[in-house]
Amino acid sequence: MEAASLPETGPASRTPGRSAGDFVLDNILWVILGGALVFFLATDFTQTLVDIKTGLSNGTIWALIALGYTLVYGIIELINFAHGEVFMIGSFVAVSVWQTFEVSAASSLLVIVGSMAVGLGAAMLVSGSLNVMIERVAYRPLRGAPKLAPLITAIGMSFILQNVGLLWRGTPDSTPDLIRSQKEVFTLLDVTIVRSDIFAVAVTVPLLVALLWFVGSTRYGKAMRATAQDPDAARLMGIDVDRTIGLTFLLGGLLAGAAGMIYALYNGTIQFNQGFTAGLIAFTAAVMGGIGNLKGAVAGGLIIGVIQALGDTHAGGRWTPVIVFGVLILIMVFRPQGLFGEETREG
Amino acid sequence: MAAWGCLAAALSFGVAACGDDDEGGSASSGSGDSGSTSLTVYSSLPLQGDSRPQSQSVVNGIKLALEESGGKVGNFTIKYTSLDDATASAGKWEAGQVSTNARKAAQDKSTIAYIGEFNSGASAISIPVLNQAGILQVSPSNTAAGLTRKEGAAPGEPDKYYPSGKRTFGRVVPADHIQAAAQVTFQKDEGCKKTYVFNDKEVYGKGLADQVEQIAGQQGLEIAANEGIDTKAANFRSLAQKVKSSGANCMFFGGITQNKGVQLFKDVHAQNPSVKLFGPDGVAESPFTSKLGAEVEKMTYITNPTLDPKLYPTTGQEFFKAYEEKYGAAPEPYAIYGYEAMKVVLLAIEKAGDKGNDKQAVIDAFFQTKDRDSVLGKYSIDENGDTTLSDYGADVVKDGKLVFDKVLKAQT
Repeated sequence: MEAASLPETGPASRTPGRSAGDFVLDNILWVILGGALVFFLATDFTQTLVDIKTGLSNGTIWALIALGYTLVYGIIELINFAHGEVFMIGSFVAVSVWQTFEVSAASSLLVIVGSMAVGLGAAMLVSGSLNVMIERVAYRPLRGAPKLAPLITAIGMSFILQNVGLLWRGTPDSTPDLIRSQKEVFTLLDVTIVRSDIFAVAVTVPLLVALLWFVGSTRYGKAMRATAQDPDAARLMGIDVDRTIGLTFLLGGLLAGAAGMIYALYNGTIQFNQGFTAGLIAFTAAVMGGIGNLKGAVAGGLIIGVIQALGDTHAGGRWTPVIVFGVLILIMVFRPQGLFGEETREG
Repeated sequence: MAAWGCLAAALSFGVAACGDDDEGGSASSGSGDSGSTSLTVYSSLPLQGDSRPQSQSVVNGIKLALEESGGKVGNFTIKYTSLDDATASAGKWEAGQVSTNARKAAQDKSTIAYIGEFNSGASAISIPVLNQAGILQVSPSNTAAGLTRKEGAAPGEPDKYYPSGKRTFGRVVPADHIQAAAQVTFQKDEGCKKTYVFNDKEVYGKGLADQVEQIAGQQGLEIAANEGIDTKAANFRSLAQKVKSSGANCMFFGGITQNKGVQLFKDVHAQNPSVKLFGPDGVAESPFTSKLGAEVEKMTYITNPTLDPKLYPTTGQEFFKAYEEKYGAAPEPYAIYGYEAMKVVLLAIEKAGDKGNDKQAVIDAFFQTKDRDSVLGKYSIDENGDTTLSDYGADVVKDGKLVFDKVLKAQT
């Protein structure tokens, strides 16, 4: 997968000398995706709005996980296959916090809010540290090795963590329904918005904004971007590349932990193999948006969420994965760099 | 490996002597004779993930049956080895592991019978392997009709599972043509007018859902849809919305706990609080019932081949007592079927007399089981290997536990 470095602007950027045909080709997927949406809206307006709502709130979780993939790939061109399991461990930690303090929906508001904050903090901290540890143990020693070596250790880590989850909770566990997740809040255009929809968005958006600010506006973020572009030059400029890579894994892990906590409250059940599927979907989202591209990962997550909801409604649940990956193949064929273009160094 | 299995078996019973294992021989032919007095019964059940509590309970039932016979039948010493057909990464039965187990039993010259699999889809993989080796296979829990019968089966079933042309597989639990009829009766009793059917796309789940759909059609219960689900989905909110749009007042899930049963019930209930939720024996276990929560369990109805202990003959009630005494907990629904599977295997060896170590003689003896007074009641095994038992229990869920409600007399 040789990366092509592209400007950060979206696919709509027209450089002089490019034909109108190229422009249409670049945007054909947006036309197809938009066209499909318009068609569904025209045929069944309310149902499609419901699907979009369900898709977007599901998609926020995929987006958070996808960011971890994209951050890591952007900086060391490695697919961290254990990332899905880091997210699963985040779910487990959050639920353990609530079970330890015996918090339930019947607890007082103060206790619920407090325990949710503690659960979120604990999940982020454990997942973040775990991701840093994985990098130290399984990836850093292989920095100079052929690319296949860290790929294998990543898959190995994924299996090890899955078994940790299996030992921890052998059977699926129910999450205490702290937010009364499916309680209606209000109805907009015949679309019922439930608490978990609001919760998922309310936790995700600040995290995304914070991440974009961190990567875009702080010294550490600058160091991360410099390392992503050219590690050797960054090192010559006095940047501690190892520490910067560690920081990247920490950020990815923090977001995965947050996603884990949201997932637990949003869905109400957690199980040791939830990370495998979630990881696969989030990785797809990252590739769809353009690997290495933060905004692309978020958009990819949201788009996949919406495709899944529409697939469930119109084709039935059994076909949904086929549709998601069918769209991915289409995107890869027409735009190998993803919808928003990759942001990785030239291979 | 075999030595360890032997050691484990010896430790767990304190009865069976560990004889020489002559493993690694080639698969014997149908009339194979192990020629020794030490025979092995294997079981293959999913012991990882959320199948574990139910499977472990079945293993306990099997052990209890063997202990009662003192680990011996006539001159033969019976050794029991429990195999696991689940993998951690799958969290349930896994095809590769199933065929590994079946081959292991097929290649062990001392094998006389194989109890398993727990899941019908898994048995579809192991039956042909054991059939070619001419080994008796008895499942404690497979209900998919196509494993033994043409009615209600997919094209090519059941013959494609028996390459040797002879039947080697039987079960002690009624097949799904009976459960489907019981399910439809149950739904109509509970006032269902229109049922939305989901299935998990497996041999068992889809087979059962298809039969429910067919029988419902004959009995005037409307089926809104029969839809396969993506068992890896994070949630089923879109599908719950479809149930809502369809106007169905009931939902039925043909599938198992391990294929996101709990998530589906929760999500459908959240958007359809008045819809009654029906599940089959594939979810009749504590990992499912204990995770539903107070709201969902009020609307949950489950068919279960295990009846109220009080409805069993005296021997059945003794089984429940003995089990609780030995293991300190009430058995999961399928434990009694595990017990009976081992019992009927031991009986077949006994009936074969001096030919108790002749695989074909034991298979023949099993298929000749007639009017057996068992813990489950009186039953016979028909030429397909099916039991003549046909009562299904209708259960509800209270405080996270299955509670027997009534008997469903299924007419086939």
